[in-house]
Amino acid sequence: MLGYLLRRIGLAGLMLFGLVCLTFVISNVAPSDPAALAAGPDAGRSQIEQARRDYGLDKPLPEQFLRYLTDLAHGDFGRSIATGRPVGTDLARYFPATLELVILAMALGVLLGVPLGVLSALRKDGPADHATRIFAVSGIALPPFWFGLLLQLAFATWLGLLPTSGRLSVFTEPPDPITGLLLVDSLLHGNTALFREALSHIILPAIVLSLPCLASILRVNRSEMVEALRMDYVTAARAHGVTPWRIVMVHALKNAMLPTLAMIGLRWGWMMSSTVLVETVFDWPGIGLYAVSSAIAGDFKPVLGVTLIVGLNFMIANLVVDLLYGVLDPRLRRA
Amino acid sequence: MSAAAEETVAAPPRRRLRLALWLLGRSFSSMLGLFLVTVIVLLALIGPWIVPYPDHVAGAVNLANKLQPPSAAHWLGTDEVGNDILTRVIIGARISLLVGIGITFAAAAIGVPLGILAGLAGGRLREAIMRFTDLFLSVPGLVLAIALVAALGPGIVNAMIALILVWWPGYVRLAESKALSIREEPFIEAARVAGASRARILRRHVLPNSLSPLIVKMSMDIGQAILAVASLGFIGLGAKPPTPEWGAMISIARGYLPDWWWYAMAPGVFIYLAVLGFNLLGDGLRDILDPRSNRG
Amino acid sequence: MTQDISRRGLMAGAALLTAGMPGIGMAFERDGNRKVLVFSGNQQVPVLDPHVRYDWSTRMIQQSVYDALLKYDGDPPRIVPWLAERYEVSPDGLTYTFHLVGNAKFHNGDPVDAEAVRFSFERGLKLNAGIAWMLKDFLKPENIVAVDARTVRFTLDRPFAPFISYVPWWYVVNPRQVMANQENGDLGRKWLTENAAGSGPYRLRRFDANTLMHLDAVPDYWKGWPMADGDRPSGIIYRIIREAAPRKAALQRREADIITNLTPDDIEQLSRVPGVVVENHKGSTTFGIKFNCQQGPTADINLRKAIAYAFDYDSLLAIHNGAAVLMTSPFPASMAGHIDVPGIPRKDLDKARDFLRRSRFPNGGIELEYVHVQGLEDARRIGLALLDSLRALDIRVNIVGQPWPTMTSRGSKPETSPNMMSVYVTPVGTDPDTVAYQYHRASWGLYYGTAHYENAEVSRWIDEARGETDNAKRMALYARIQAQIVADQPELFGMVANRIWARRDYVQGFTFSPVRFTGEIDLYPLWARG
Repeated sequence: MLGYLLRRIGLAGLMLFGLVCLTFVISNVAPSDPAALAAGPDAGRSQIEQARRDYGLDKPLPEQFLRYLTDLAHGDFGRSIATGRPVGTDLARYFPATLELVILAMALGVLLGVPLGVLSALRKDGPADHATRIFAVSGIALPPFWFGLLLQLAFATWLGLLPTSGRLSVFTEPPDPITGLLLVDSLLHGNTALFREALSHIILPAIVLSLPCLASILRVNRSEMVEALRMDYVTAARAHGVTPWRIVMVHALKNAMLPTLAMIGLRWGWMMSSTVLVETVFDWPGIGLYAVSSAIAGDFKPVLGVTLIVGLNFMIANLVVDLLYGVLDPRLRRA
Repeated sequence: MSAAAEETVAAPPRRRLRLALWLLGRSFSSMLGLFLVTVIVLLALIGPWIVPYPDHVAGAVNLANKLQPPSAAHWLGTDEVGNDILTRVIIGARISLLVGIGITFAAAAIGVPLGILAGLAGGRLREAIMRFTDLFLSVPGLVLAIALVAALGPGIVNAMIALILVWWPGYVRLAESKALSIREEPFIEAARVAGASRARILRRHVLPNSLSPLIVKMSMDIGQAILAVASLGFIGLGAKPPTPEWGAMISIARGYLPDWWWYAMAPGVFIYLAVLGFNLLGDGLRDILDPRSNRG
Repeated sequence: MTQDISRRGLMAGAALLTAGMPGIGMAFERDGNRKVLVFSGNQQVPVLDPHVRYDWSTRMIQQSVYDALLKYDGDPPRIVPWLAERYEVSPDGLTYTFHLVGNAKFHNGDPVDAEAVRFSFERGLKLNAGIAWMLKDFLKPENIVAVDARTVRFTLDRPFAPFISYVPWWYVVNPRQVMANQENGDLGRKWLTENAAGSGPYRLRRFDANTLMHLDAVPDYWKGWPMADGDRPSGIIYRIIREAAPRKAALQRREADIITNLTPDDIEQLSRVPGVVVENHKGSTTFGIKFNCQQGPTADINLRKAIAYAFDYDSLLAIHNGAAVLMTSPFPASMAGHIDVPGIPRKDLDKARDFLRRSRFPNGGIELEYVHVQGLEDARRIGLALLDSLRALDIRVNIVGQPWPTMTSRGSKPETSPNMMSVYVTPVGTDPDTVAYQYHRASWGLYYGTAHYENAEVSRWIDEARGETDNAKRMALYARIQAQIVADQPELFGMVANRIWARRDYVQGFTFSPVRFTGEIDLYPLWARG
């Protein structure tokens, strides 16, 4: 087990290195002059050259890469060319916002996806089944950016029930960060008004982000449940007079747990990446918005940083799921 | 797997088709998917001949007529330079469909041979291919695509290149697992003992057996690729103006919310229906072709 | 702040009631008895250091927390005394002596003295970033002398007429605070990124680069306040909302008191909303399409002229819903020395075809690239108008949006510079040199010099005008420069778009000055009635 774990971590480290190489190559294929961006629009040649030296852009590429690697090893993500701010500081500021969004969306996906999947399986091929199936596929097919705009229009502009964007109102000073997650921090501070406010801001983006995840959890649970209901021991249990409800609760749900867990692991990294669109629509100050606005400006250090953070999340999620699988499902341990 | 596969392979083609159609027709959601895909394909094929204002596709500028609400002359209204939205959305089907199919086929063309190679070859080569694939699989797809397009410069071709780059690893995984499982099958062993060449085994056994899951995956992926291109377009990294691409249209329409809200509606609905169609169809195909692998 | 939170708690219900009824709703934000004004725009403020960075949003905050020797005010812009109560220029135009006011204090109580001024200019020049380009070639750090506590003397290397027009952008920082926070000899660069050491009317309360800036008013600001004591706001929040729609919604729901970065189509819409006033002012940011004058088809002046005569200039006005004026010279109308150049091209297809016939492409049949900054909606729409216009000449247009650094990198060499590149230029001061210099040979390859325009005579005139101390002679030179540039057509002279803000009607003290950037206003005189 320990050997397996070490091997996996080693592989993950190797892949992370590959990821750094890949993103570094991408960020240097553009025929652009970062120094001009750093120096500002009106800068003369002297200022552009100054910026080139300040950012170490005058060095040959291999040396820049080596320097980036050494800095990374020290936890330094470099400085954004467009803003001059350290990327690490910015990431630390924006990551909790993304994390909060992803966790809530994931929770929504599980809480709604599992029961709907069970329902769909119990009413297999009935109208409820077709309805949930189309709903599930819709969750994958709805363009999140467009759906987000629709929700904004409906709930913020027309009904005026919820705020349009951001994490908190302009006037609210955020609490001293404990976890960085506003929903948690507001409760830890015992401030329920703040909690309500944070919740009203996060709910729409969380719904949009949760849909694809909800859909896959629903589908996994449906097929697992359909299969479980066919199993001999369920039939036997039914013959012994165990109520269908109990069968579902005890036997079938237990079976559905593993694939759901796998799905969470798969979707975790995926959500970290697709949150880009949701954050853009809702002006959510997370790493996705940070990556997009930097990419559009042609500023690649932040994009590199975000790619690494998200890639790290992918790997950790996969690792954790694999390990849990190993613990929960002894058959796999040999593989 | 083997029983089902052999059965499918064994049945005469016409009967198989009839069976498949019957199975498909039995499912409401699959029929809906087939219907939607047919409509989108039809629109893509005959679009240029049925749109009310064909010259609005290449960017005619008629600012006196901008941002009109839906009317008899413009069923879906006009956009910010006075072009007919209905026309642009219909032509957009062509672009999205082409791009979706292009990305999917290119990704499969890269991924499937690599996967089969890995599965059949085994050993070091397999390890190398699969680790490389894993690297790409562990990369946040959308973020990487955004970075790539931002670096290469926006445009539909660059968007496609970026998406193909993040899309092919899925096919390696699929093809490798199929090739791997088939390698162990008794009938392959038998064929090998009987002296069949590698190429023949590949052609006669591995490919046909991988085909069903491949078709299912590709059907789903066309939908997802359409969505991905639209996402890049929405971020502002998709098709160049005046190309009528759905995501780019929403991106512009967003600036005109909420007062000109109808502008954003049509392209969004079209993306949704197109992706929904391909996904439902893929679902339906899976139920028929690959019933055992019915997993999320 | 608990008070605010409880008010926000009521927000959901209140907003539901008032969604369709603007005008009835909660009042603006209050902090005790005083109001906190909220200004919203789309651009972040990543670095506050006044010697490292400026753009419209950054400078708006810098102007509020820092003071300079002089200050721009009003329309037409005047330069008014600020930290300096007066200044003298020596007859040879080389020595400038500034006399400081006696009562100016930094926020921490230190006096603003001559040494602080000297230190700040020296720091700006040494960091060689941000504003440094304005004075770097004419002023050496050692030639700035603090004569006594209230007198600073600058000695220029050679006469430089625009000097005074740049001084208002050189903000004064507190040397003691800055040097106390210096790291590795960085002159406090790291610390000043998110902190301020100024003497301005506002002090920094909260800095959140991507979300908001919260400023607190300094009650005993050394210069005093323009509004009645009871009307002085307790603070100002600059709130970053990237998208136009939520920003408009915030204004309508009174979550913001004043907003900017509006699309032309928003103006009409917002002016109909009761309680909202649209501020629509003639700007100074020129929009032009620079031709590559050295390489490719556009090196041919006849083709450039043909394009300039084929372009539908009215579309520029239509795109801006009339909130723009066409350029009548390379200079914006607000600039000193501006003339209306006679015969500047307007749409005339006969002339266009005439010029095309004389070019190397008598029948068109070519494709030209039009490059604009990725994500700039107006520039994209103008590209569409260009594409439509050039159809008449059978010239195709490839519209390409690119990130800024890619554009500047391509524009840095004639070989890679695009055929046509859309460029917005905001003059940083009121001196005509600021605009004229972009047509100088020395500007080749900089973002405003991507045309690689070459006319030795024009370059010489520009140099002459820089050193000329007789104003009348100077202006005559600039008139000649403008006419010659138009004749050479290194760019398609477009328009100057209006600057637009929308504010609630209770916001008072709004002042417009064309010398500020698009979106930027002076926050100091703002207050809220009621």
